[in-house]
This record gives sequence, structure tokens and C-alpha cells, in this order.
Amino acid sequence: METNFKTKEMKKITLITIVAILGTFSSYAQLQKVDQEVFGMDCAPCAYGLERGLKKMDGLQDVRVSLNDGKAYLELSENNGLSLTKIQEEVKTNGFSAQKAEVVIEGKLNTENGTPQLKTDTETYNIMNDASDDLSSKLKPGTVKVKGIVQDEEDGSLSGTWKIRVIEIL
Amino acid sequence: MDRCGTLQENGSLKSKDMNKNISLFVFLFLVIPIYGIAQGHGPLYGLQTPTLAKGGVDLNVAGMSLSTEDDTSYMLRYLFSYGITEDLQVNLTTPTMIQRLDNAPRTRGNSNMPANGDIEASLWYRFFSNAFGVGKRFESTAILGVSAPTDNIRGQVNVGNSIHGAISTGYASRTWYAWLGGGYQYYLERDNEQLGDLPYASAVVGYRPNIFMGDYPKPDWRVFVESVAEFPGDNQYLGQQDFTDSRSKKVLIGPSFLGLYGAWGISFGALFPVVQDLTPSAVKEKYRVSVNLSYWL
Repeated sequence: METNFKTKEMKKITLITIVAILGTFSSYAQLQKVDQEVFGMDCAPCAYGLERGLKKMDGLQDVRVSLNDGKAYLELSENNGLSLTKIQEEVKTNGFSAQKAEVVIEGKLNTENGTPQLKTDTETYNIMNDASDDLSSKLKPGTVKVKGIVQDEEDGSLSGTWKIRVIEIL
Repeated sequence: MDRCGTLQENGSLKSKDMNKNISLFVFLFLVIPIYGIAQGHGPLYGLQTPTLAKGGVDLNVAGMSLSTEDDTSYMLRYLFSYGITEDLQVNLTTPTMIQRLDNAPRTRGNSNMPANGDIEASLWYRFFSNAFGVGKRFESTAILGVSAPTDNIRGQVNVGNSIHGAISTGYASRTWYAWLGGGYQYYLERDNEQLGDLPYASAVVGYRPNIFMGDYPKPDWRVFVESVAEFPGDNQYLGQQDFTDSRSKKVLIGPSFLGLYGAWGISFGALFPVVQDLTPSAVKEKYRVSVNLSYWL
């Protein structure tokens, strides 16, 4: 009976070790930084409410809200499960309108139906084809990290698919 | 003691009572906020449009005073607000009357609080909102409330429950604010007597000077000029010779100030009558003063 227990424990430890090793080798496809433009936020309690709402979300390292810029600045932690949809829904819940966002994303670049797409674990970013030739030539399939401007979508119909204008490959 | 002496003593007693009331009013206002507080981030008296975030809670405590040619009332009022969605808010407000007026003018108090001893529950529905720029938005809100009195008689007339509806529309930005609104309060009949109804309108313009344009989380101040027009109908009561269905007409104007810091807000202001075309039974007002503390949970 004691041998059975020991075998089970060994199996558990082995499984945890394998998962941990695999985890070390995989890179996270995710948002890393978001400067979210917010319309309609005019007062300190508005900023306070939005900041507090954003801080409640898991996966954030730092949040700062600026009334004068009309922006929420978010630094996301490693291995976060956050999506731009979740962030923009929080903005809407606070009674404001989420507009375009400047983001840093690490994701997998593929081409689907002729459109280059950057995929994170939770969302798809269709890359707009107005980037410079120099920038476009540097976008190769595989894991890439880019800075870009995500275009505004209707607050009430966020689907997790976005259009992004890439401004820098990092 | 001669009559003159009695009058002087009465005057002195009244003055002592008044001082006691004012002290109690100030004391309670200063102490109660410690346990959890009080109002919105718009005007003090005029109708406004902002609603809470979904799941947001706002606690308010207000000190209100209304002075007529006869006497002055003092009241503390507490307001609990909860955001059901970002466009739908429920409110409950209760009073602590420190000194009532025998003949109280019929009026709304602060923008979402009755001026008299009514307990009021209300729903705010922001049915239109257009955020079109950084810090800028147009929005419109409808208000529907019901109230129950804490006093049996007001101005020698039985007080019934009432319903209140209002609508307001406004513009907010980082620098300028403007709201226009109108409402109507109707008191139900009680024991064959009825308080007159109250149609009213309000207009507010607000401005934040550059000096207060510091970014969050720095303190945020703004100043308003507020105006309220009220048209209270006459009361109906037993033994009345003939009910003429006439209305008083009042316009009041005054400044108010709003300071915001993080989750806290304080507003204070006063209204002074500039037009008082009153029916014979209505009482002349001298001023209204109000202070309000808010805390957003």
C-alpha cells in the first residue's frame, strides 16, 4: 500500500517536472503593453473608477490613468491571459468609450487568405497592408514582437479580431 | 416679568436653540462622513446626467439648509447609489431632520435629493451617451423616483407619498460643463389633503480653470453657476374655501464648487432667489445652502 502511494507521488512529480520544462521552452503569445485611448472620461472619480476596475484584472503589472491624455497605460505581466477585448470591455463598463490602442504584442505571424495575421493565445490581429516596404519585408512567419496601433472597433461588438497598423518590429 | 422681558427671553431662547441646532448640524456633518460618505461629480442643485460604473457604489452625505422669512431648516441627508449597469443606477436617500420649517417651500433639494424629510428611491437611466473626444461627452439621463414622507404634516397639510420624474441632458469636457433639465414631482392625496405639485427646470454651466487642470491623481476643482426655476402648485386641504389652482414662480441662482480627489468629492454652494412671484400661502425664501461629501467605493 505504501509502495502504491510512493509510485503515485513519483508520477505526479515527473508530470509537474515535464510541464515545467516544456513551459520554459515555450514563448507566450500575448499582449505586453497597452496604451488605451479612452473618450468621455472627464473627472478624477472617473479615472479612479477605471484605474480600480483595470487593477482588478489578473495579469497586470502596472496601471496608470491620465485624464489629460485620455489614456490608460497598462504594463502586462509575463504569462498574462489578458486580451484587448477584456481591457476595452472594462472601459465600457465604466461608462466610457474605448478607442484605438497602441500595443506591444508578441505573437505568431501567419498568412491567412493573403492577409498577414498575428495571433496571440486569445486574439487575432490582422496586419494592415499600409506598412512601409522595409517594415513589411521584415515581417516573417514565426514568432514576432511588434509595436502597433490597433484600430478602434465598435464598443458593443468586440469579436477578438482586430486590425493593427504595425509601426515597429521589436 | 413684564411682556417685554418675556419677549426678550423668548428671543434669547430661540437664539440659543438656533445656535444649538447649527452646532449640531456642523458636528454631525463633520463626524458622520468618517463612517462612510456622500454625491455625484456634477452640479449641486441642478439636474445632472452622469451615472456610476457597472457595480460602482457612491456614498454621499449632504448638509442642507433653507432659510425663509420665517425660519431656517437644517437637514442631513444620506444617499446610497449603485450602478446596476454603466447606464442604470439605483439610489436611496434618507434624511435626518435637525430643524424643520413649519411652512416649508416645496422644492427639490440637491440634484438627486429631496429638500424636505422624504425618503426617496430613484432610478437613473442614461439613455443616450456619446463620448466623442478626450474627456468629452454628450449624454442624457431620465430619472424616476418614489418617496415617502417622514413627517405627517407639512405646512399644516397632510403629506402623502410622491412620485418624481425628470430628464436632463448635458455636455462634459475637461474644461466646460453644461446641463439642462426639467422635472415634475406629484404628491398623492392623504386623508383628503394634498400638497401641490412641483414642475421645475434647472440650468447649469461649469468651468475648470487651467490652474486646476492637473492630471489624475492630483485634486480636480471646478466651479458652477447654477439656476433653478420652480413652479409649485398650491396645497389642497380640508376646510379650504376655494381652491384656485394657482402657482408660485421662483427663480434661484447661485454658485457652487466641486473638488475631487481620488475617490473623494466635496461640493458646496448656495442659491439665492432672484424672482419670487408667490401665491398668498407660499413663504418667501432667503437662501439655500448645501454641502455634500462623496465617496466612491
